[in-house]
Amino acid sequence: MNAYAISAPQAPGRVHLVDIRRKALLLAQLRVLLIGAVFLALAAAALLRIAYLGVVQPAPSQRSMADALLPPRGEITDRNGVPLARAFPAYALWFNPTAMDDGGPPLVQSAKTVAHRLREIFPDLDEAEIARKLASGKSGYLRRRILPEDANKVMALGELALELPRETDRHYPQGSMAAHVLGYVDEDGKGHVGMESALNDQLLDPARRGTPVALSIDARVQGALEDELRRGMLSVNAVGAAGIVLDVDTGEVLALASLPEFDPNKVDKDSQKYIFNKVTNQVYELGSTFKPLAVAAAIDAGTVTDLSRRYSAAPIHIGGFTIKDSHPLGATLNVPETLIHSSNIVTAHIVDDLGAARLKQVMADLGFNERPYIELPARGFPIWASGEWPRLRAMTVGYGHGIAVTPLHLATAYAAMVNGGIWRPATLHKIEPGQANRGRRVFKASTSARMNQLLRMIALYGTGRKADAPGFRVGGKTGSAEKPGAGGYNRTSLVSTFAAAFPMDKPRYVVISMMDEPKGTVASSFQRTAAYTAAPVIARLVPRIGPILGVMPDDSRDIDLTDLKPLIGSEE
Amino acid sequence: MTPVRPYVPRPGERSAPAPQFPQSRRRRVKVWWREVDRVLLFLVLALMTVGAISVAAASPASARRLSGTAQLPDLYFFWLHLRWQMLGVLVLLGTSLMPRELVRRGSILLSGAMIFAMLLVPMIGTEVNGARRWLDLGIRFQPSEFLKPAFAVACAWVLSWRARDSELPVIPLSAIFVGTVVVLLMIQPNLGDAILFVGCWFVLVVLAGLPMQRVGVLFGVGVGGLALAYTFYDNARHRIDSFLGGGTAFDQVDLASRTLMAGGWTGSGLWLGTRKMILPEAHTDYIFSVIGEEFGLLTCALVVLIYLAIVVRVLVRLVDEDNLFILLAATGLTALFGGQAFVNILVNLQLFPSKGLTLPLVSYGGSSTIAQCFLVGLLLAITRRNPYLSREKFDWRGAIEISPLGRADGEVRR
Repeated sequence: MNAYAISAPQAPGRVHLVDIRRKALLLAQLRVLLIGAVFLALAAAALLRIAYLGVVQPAPSQRSMADALLPPRGEITDRNGVPLARAFPAYALWFNPTAMDDGGPPLVQSAKTVAHRLREIFPDLDEAEIARKLASGKSGYLRRRILPEDANKVMALGELALELPRETDRHYPQGSMAAHVLGYVDEDGKGHVGMESALNDQLLDPARRGTPVALSIDARVQGALEDELRRGMLSVNAVGAAGIVLDVDTGEVLALASLPEFDPNKVDKDSQKYIFNKVTNQVYELGSTFKPLAVAAAIDAGTVTDLSRRYSAAPIHIGGFTIKDSHPLGATLNVPETLIHSSNIVTAHIVDDLGAARLKQVMADLGFNERPYIELPARGFPIWASGEWPRLRAMTVGYGHGIAVTPLHLATAYAAMVNGGIWRPATLHKIEPGQANRGRRVFKASTSARMNQLLRMIALYGTGRKADAPGFRVGGKTGSAEKPGAGGYNRTSLVSTFAAAFPMDKPRYVVISMMDEPKGTVASSFQRTAAYTAAPVIARLVPRIGPILGVMPDDSRDIDLTDLKPLIGSEE
Repeated sequence: MTPVRPYVPRPGERSAPAPQFPQSRRRRVKVWWREVDRVLLFLVLALMTVGAISVAAASPASARRLSGTAQLPDLYFFWLHLRWQMLGVLVLLGTSLMPRELVRRGSILLSGAMIFAMLLVPMIGTEVNGARRWLDLGIRFQPSEFLKPAFAVACAWVLSWRARDSELPVIPLSAIFVGTVVVLLMIQPNLGDAILFVGCWFVLVVLAGLPMQRVGVLFGVGVGGLALAYTFYDNARHRIDSFLGGGTAFDQVDLASRTLMAGGWTGSGLWLGTRKMILPEAHTDYIFSVIGEEFGLLTCALVVLIYLAIVVRVLVRLVDEDNLFILLAATGLTALFGGQAFVNILVNLQLFPSKGLTLPLVSYGGSSTIAQCFLVGLLLAITRRNPYLSREKFDWRGAIEISPLGRADGEVRR
């Protein structure tokens, strides 16, 4: 009874407690689901926001590992690895009127003050124009290619609206050197003019742009060539000059210059007129420099077998046209004398003996009937008479008139003439030893050897004496052609060329120097002809580049001239 | 041998083996491996791996920013973080090996100790970035970090008293508890953690049967409290102002947004990000943005999903839990962990004002990594289950029937 009395009030309480416990548990379990739902909602919000950010907001373009680690554009170096063009991380000055983002004016100071202070940093800035741009409230570039220290100064102005985005620019550490070979890169990152244009795809290809492209150019030779050409050009008041150094055995261009040049680091409206490449794009009637080619063709064909044979030097009248020399050279001339004194008349006789068809064939084999072979995009098409050449045409071509080619054409033709007779296309790519183009045979090796003697004789005893450099065994031929003007040839404006090769005992390099419209000055003894304008450039240039290219001056060596020397006995 | 006549061994007979708790350490680990929530363990370790990679990504940015006269190596924070993570995993496994009773008692003692430590903070604490939150006792640590998990368990314990005696005013008692903590936090000042504590407490009392009406009232009080904080608490006002006003160009939030957006969907790749370099707190508060830049928005979504998976995994398993204390404690710990994670993520996504909370188990941190590992260890210890016991299914019907009774609950008690 007692026991019942105690347990009776307990039992309902315990049942009650169990009931409460169960209810509390059920409630808690249900609300756990509620909490879970809240977290689901939070996660859904986050995911939707991420999707929104990814889709609606402008996401940046994808970046690849290659983009981040490789230069944006491949480097260009010379044959020895000297950088000629490289990627240059620079800053740009960008005006962003919405940067302050507070509805007020875009600048803290007035537009005029900011423009003035920018002018203090960049002295060549057009203050009025910048002030106008700042006042207009439109975003845009104020300046590009800013150096880091100048960027810091701009930053110190404290204007949020002046933003300094990093841009990768192209930098040419050698300045304007080899500008025509390299070309330039425009603001859209596209290459123009030179190898920048020719190699555009390769330089931008992520797979290949990591390795620098080595050109055949030698920066030291290029520098010397430009230096001497400029000196020559200024000393004779020429409007322009062009030059090329070519490896005769491989066709590699070691230097190529066209003056006046432009600065690829700063291409503007003024430089546009200098971008034209005189070496590869401009065709000239190159005059007497063609005579050795015509003589070589005649020797090769067997129409000239006896170099001592004397030809009449009396003016030729043909088809209402008179072929004459610049001054009387005597009654008769043999072949060496013809070249030494540069006789138009005798060359015409030799070509006449050779025949127009055979001359045309040789000229075509030398590549004078097509654009020059080189990687550059700007290549001029020669003035080349098609069809069967009449006698007169062949005669004039023999001394370099009635045909117009680029200086590069001439250089490759000379290379074929002196290297044993193999013509090879010129190239701006560095060629590994043994990888040179096989080329095509134009002259017999014997013809080439004979021509080497004759070219050396011109430099020793003839019009090319001013091109000889002691010890370097230079050979070559002058050429002074009148420029064609309105209604015939213009007697006062010449194109003076000297086509040289060295050393003549084993020719390695062809060097061309060309002066466009030289004037008679004190430096050229008031002469405009190549002997006084273009030849001295060679004489100064070869001693500079010879040792660089492995040709040492040596007075004890020269090509053997003993068999030809007696033919010009009157000279000594 | 019946209950009426128990077996009495006679001399010379061996007694029957009594069932006993496994004694050897090896046996204990085996039992642990069977009982522990292995899915949760895997998710947490995956998250810590994500954390290690992310800190590696963010380390150069912060190392360069924080270099004083001596240049810190780029991966300074990465190596340091790896060390803390090693220690953290040991803490995590050690804690999860503890028996449930020990977890409860330990947490109660720890919360007492940490509240005491927080009392000391205003007096002998170290000041960093204008806030006095750290105690330097040989090693520098933040008492509130370790109080968080202990608080959740202790508060759950207090609230579970109701299962024993429905007359106890457990909710007001826990309110006093959390109130004390919040006051101590505001002295530091530490608004982010205070909100986290209140949020955790709020979840617990909702689970403990707070009538929905009062839930609404509390919610209103919370908003009012924020309004008060906005009026009288400079730090909070600045942050809320910059959130509502859209901020100014190149402030912290703007930089984080630019960093997050810089990678697009697939990111720039490890160590290829550039925006992170000017982002303050890249390795802690804004590591989510760094993940966005270097690994892309898709990876950000993956991180969100990992956190969601952890939270959902714990909560789904709790739905058929029949022990009120376990249910409350585990939900409280999850709310702390998930709450901090989602607040940080939403801050990075510009959906929430900047709070100064780190991304748990991902952000760089010394004592905070240890504390988060400790929290997860407690969670693993509390949710251990004998896999051979089947449980009563969740009674949907009963739950929905009593749910409107939430209000009537009190009347039944009377």
